[in-house]
Amino acid sequence: MTSSVFWALVRKDLYLMRGFMIATVLTGVLGVVLSAFGRVGFAVGGILFITADVASGIFIAMYSLMVERKDLSRMFALSLPISGYRYDLSKLLSGYLAYGIPWLLMTAMVLVHFLLPGAPHGMLVYALLIQGFVFALFSVVLASLFAVSSEAMSGVVILVVNICFSLFMVELNQPTISAPLHGPAIVWTPFATMAVTGDAIVLALSFAYALFLTSRRRDYI
Amino acid sequence: MSTSLSTNAFCLQDVSKSFSHFKLEGLNLSLPQGQIMGLVGPNGAGKSTTIRLLMGLLACDAGSIEALGLRVPEQIEAAKRRIAFVSDDMRLFGTATLAWHMRFVASIYPEWDEVYARKLIRRFNLRPGQTMAKMSRGEQVKSMLLLALARRPALLVLDEPTSGLDPVARHELLTELMEIVRDDTRSILFSSHNTQDVERICDQIAFIDRGRLVDSRDKENFLERWRRISVDVPGGVTLPRLADVVDLSLGERVAVLTTDNYLPQMHALLEQSGARVQEVQRMSLEEIFVACVMRSRAEVQS
Repeated sequence: MTSSVFWALVRKDLYLMRGFMIATVLTGVLGVVLSAFGRVGFAVGGILFITADVASGIFIAMYSLMVERKDLSRMFALSLPISGYRYDLSKLLSGYLAYGIPWLLMTAMVLVHFLLPGAPHGMLVYALLIQGFVFALFSVVLASLFAVSSEAMSGVVILVVNICFSLFMVELNQPTISAPLHGPAIVWTPFATMAVTGDAIVLALSFAYALFLTSRRRDYI
Repeated sequence: MSTSLSTNAFCLQDVSKSFSHFKLEGLNLSLPQGQIMGLVGPNGAGKSTTIRLLMGLLACDAGSIEALGLRVPEQIEAAKRRIAFVSDDMRLFGTATLAWHMRFVASIYPEWDEVYARKLIRRFNLRPGQTMAKMSRGEQVKSMLLLALARRPALLVLDEPTSGLDPVARHELLTELMEIVRDDTRSILFSSHNTQDVERICDQIAFIDRGRLVDSRDKENFLERWRRISVDVPGGVTLPRLADVVDLSLGERVAVLTTDNYLPQMHALLEQSGARVQEVQRMSLEEIFVACVMRSRAEVQS
């Protein structure tokens, strides 16, 4: 009986965030299409794709948690027959799904794109590294927003996340690191392996941190 | 008042909750099933904290809470199946329509009464296709009330529901609540600082101030016991010391006594002392509330 309320809340979040999710995927598609039109198209398409990737993560995490707190609709959700703990779990799950579904579609799109005949197959690893990093960052933002309640602190979280992403892109584009990834063959370099492992660890830790915070909370308003 | 019986809609026993700048202390409050309680207090008195504790949104530091015979917060999911809650601090989802909210709530509560919901839409003059963000404050409150009422709850908890409503919307809302009251299996906890609203619909009253329960009893009991007595006091006459006088204002020749336990014998005692009783006035709930709060604050200070 209770799980139906839990899933009703998850479905509700996905319904209310459907606009962001669709817009993210469409922007990603546009980015991939543009990238097929020469060097400029590749640059513009790539920026569009990455912007959709990163911005939607921040937007979805913010919308899922901060907006519901700020516009007081959280109180309505908590008036339903669900405990505060399970309500928090529903927010965590719906957040991962709302970002994860478009992310998965976009990841599949770039994989297909770089596996097409004539495409630089090595870029597949490059794209996966970016996708892995942005998903880990999204997880950090979501977990952080469970911990902070002020807009100022959430702004700091977003700023830090953006700096991290910029630093990662600078590192990824170092010639020694990116050169093997631009070739015709798929190569898992030590850097690529380390980055994916790091993403998985960050993802697991941020998820565990959000669960930990949720389990300790006693007051929900 | 504080005994936990299954016939109580809710029961709070010795409940305390501390925040950095506010403390709710040793609160004992219960409501028999089928009754309406008005929880009255000034802003910041602890009304919303009390209600949030009852709804399991806050965990108490000490004491115990039961709602519809279920422990809070341990069994809050089961309790909330039969409790509806509307608060001044609550909003619906701005981008969704009322029709969507109705489907959403109906999918959760098997008791959802679609016929009654449609009736309330007409009575409140709401448009189901309109999003919440485009509704006025009054329409939003009515929408929340519709969602709460159409699920046919055993206990309806309303935290300042009439705050911010125009007089017409307030009248409509209170009229609807009085309709519900006809069904004596339903209970209502109604918090407000508007004593007129409370006086109109409630049969139990609890006054709360600065985190403490000041008084709690039957409304008629309040209204029957409290009186303001104006007395003409000629020179040389000393008023007798009367029990249960909570306030005494002395003018040059006129004294005004406020009592929380009026007995006709008081009249005779005053006349015997040489004073002349000019008038014995019934007090409004607002006047009783103010007198209660002032007495409580004086007791705390002393």
